Amino acid sequence: MSEEKQQVSRRQFLNYTLTGVGGFMAAGMLAPMLRMAVDPVLKSTSSDGDFVNVGLAVEDITTTPQRVDWQIEQVDGWYESKPGRSAWVYKDDKGDIIALSPVCTHLGCVVSWEGNESHPNEFFCPCHDGRYTKDGVNVPGTPPLAPLATYEQKVENGILYLGKAISRKGA
Amino acid sequence: MQWTKRDMGVYVGSKEFIDTAIIPILPFQLSQESNLSKSTSKREVLSIFATEIEKELSGRVLLIPNYYYLEYGDKLEEAKRLNSWNEEIQKQPFEHVFILTFDSGWKRFEKDLQANLLWVPGFQADDPNSDEMRQMIRGQVSDVVELIRSYW
Repeated sequence: MSEEKQQVSRRQFLNYTLTGVGGFMAAGMLAPMLRMAVDPVLKSTSSDGDFVNVGLAVEDITTTPQRVDWQIEQVDGWYESKPGRSAWVYKDDKGDIIALSPVCTHLGCVVSWEGNESHPNEFFCPCHDGRYTKDGVNVPGTPPLAPLATYEQKVENGILYLGKAISRKGA
Repeated sequence: MQWTKRDMGVYVGSKEFIDTAIIPILPFQLSQESNLSKSTSKREVLSIFATEIEKELSGRVLLIPNYYYLEYGDKLEEAKRLNSWNEEIQKQPFEHVFILTFDSGWKRFEKDLQANLLWVPGFQADDPNSDEMRQMIRGQVSDVVELIRSYW
């Protein structure tokens, strides 16, 4: 009875096997090409990766600068770290959100809002008495020669996201 | 400023603004196993602590590389060595030199040290990167920053 069953001939078997293996090899070559071709499409979904949620709701931002701290992921060669970032965030008279970098443009200390009692309504650098007005512009006659940097910002679902700090020209 | 090529380049250019040096001193020991976790967490937290202080006051403070000593060694000998570090630092116009430690044992040898001893009560951290820890370190850092500023 077994002889009536359709036998697979040697030739057929080799044909099937070779087609199968060839198919795998072709797929192995084509898949990365396809992946690269569609890569830009996949990337666009995460293009705002540079912005970080700093954990501050827009409605909590007042006209008084408040300090926010957050961390970013950074890969520097083989060294991965989570350096901290800080900003002074407030709303100006028009209701726009301002996020200033706290790094003094003189030698890099951290400035604080109203850090000195004799200079109210100004940012104050504790190291060499540098001063900045509320909009971050350096007060002439004090050591800093440039205004504080501002952060790129955007608001999503009522939460503030901050990006890179952009330095401004000297005043 | 840190003891790096880039920062020291800035330092040489603006020496007149940088008049304060901080030496973090860290204990090392392997003999007492039960105290190992305490010793290591001291080291981790103090390193973070020193870096944070430097970040706040980087324009006026030079963070000296970590100084290691044997935790159960002779502190008087170490004090002598620390004084020679201090002398080395004084070759540049530094007005204030601080020694930063969590080790209360140094308090007894304060008079033998030429530099100002900044003893900060240490705390143990299971995870120095946790949010609570960060808050705590930040709080203490701002206190120490105030203290350093009072010397200026």
